[in-house]
Amino acid sequence: MEEALRLSYGEDTLIACLGGEIDHHRAVSVRSRIDEALFEHLPKKLVIDIGRVDFMDSSGLGLIMGRLAKAKEIGATLVLQNPSARVVRMLKMAGLDRMIETTKNH
Amino acid sequence: MPKKATNEIRCTFLSKSENEALARSIISGFLLPLDPTVDELADIRCAISEAVTNCIVHGYRGTEGMIVLGAKSFDDRSVRITVIDRGCGIEDVAKARTPLFTTCPDEDRCGMGFSIMESFSDKMSVSSAPGKGTRITLTRKLASPLKGNT
Repeated sequence: MEEALRLSYGEDTLIACLGGEIDHHRAVSVRSRIDEALFEHLPKKLVIDIGRVDFMDSSGLGLIMGRLAKAKEIGATLVLQNPSARVVRMLKMAGLDRMIETTKNH
Repeated sequence: MPKKATNEIRCTFLSKSENEALARSIISGFLLPLDPTVDELADIRCAISEAVTNCIVHGYRGTEGMIVLGAKSFDDRSVRITVIDRGCGIEDVAKARTPLFTTCPDEDRCGMGFSIMESFSDKMSVSSAPGKGTRITLTRKLASPLKGNT
């Protein structure tokens, strides 16, 4: 099974690389690990890379929205990296495409 | 001519969050012999995941109960899927179906579950009442399989 979360930090940027299936069950532990790292490192930018995510439902959207709120709490920006076309569609459904910066690096 | 059922399953499992993935696997196993497209399978898996998550997070909040996942396929390539819980039920179904409405904003719930279920199915109905549990019914007609596939 794909590892759910890999965290790395450097140059004021915390990168949370998600993988596998992000549903309500997986989102719970992923959320707390990202938040721990956010408040430990206090980065200027949080990058959530979902290029390795095979499945995501609205719990994944909630995870992203929650991390956006946490990032704002510490004055950091959030970038969503490598969302699939399906995830982009879900972001648009939720109106999050206007609130979250997205980028592609592969 | 009325459509004929071609296959049917009914599965019962505990409202534990690890069973969200199980529900997706069950519905995938049921759908794959029907040769769905990649998008059809992904849509339905996501819709079922939303329905089962609602049972766990809302229906059986603070407690545990059984969830019943049923699926029936028909000879016109439509599938009807039901997700049933005997949890607390929904007081105002119309309000619950409003996009972005959630009773749990502090738990990273974005309130898009019903919207996604509706978007990823041809028809969705919700039957619920306080104390009486909830029944979600999703219907989707699969596209005709590509010629040459067996």
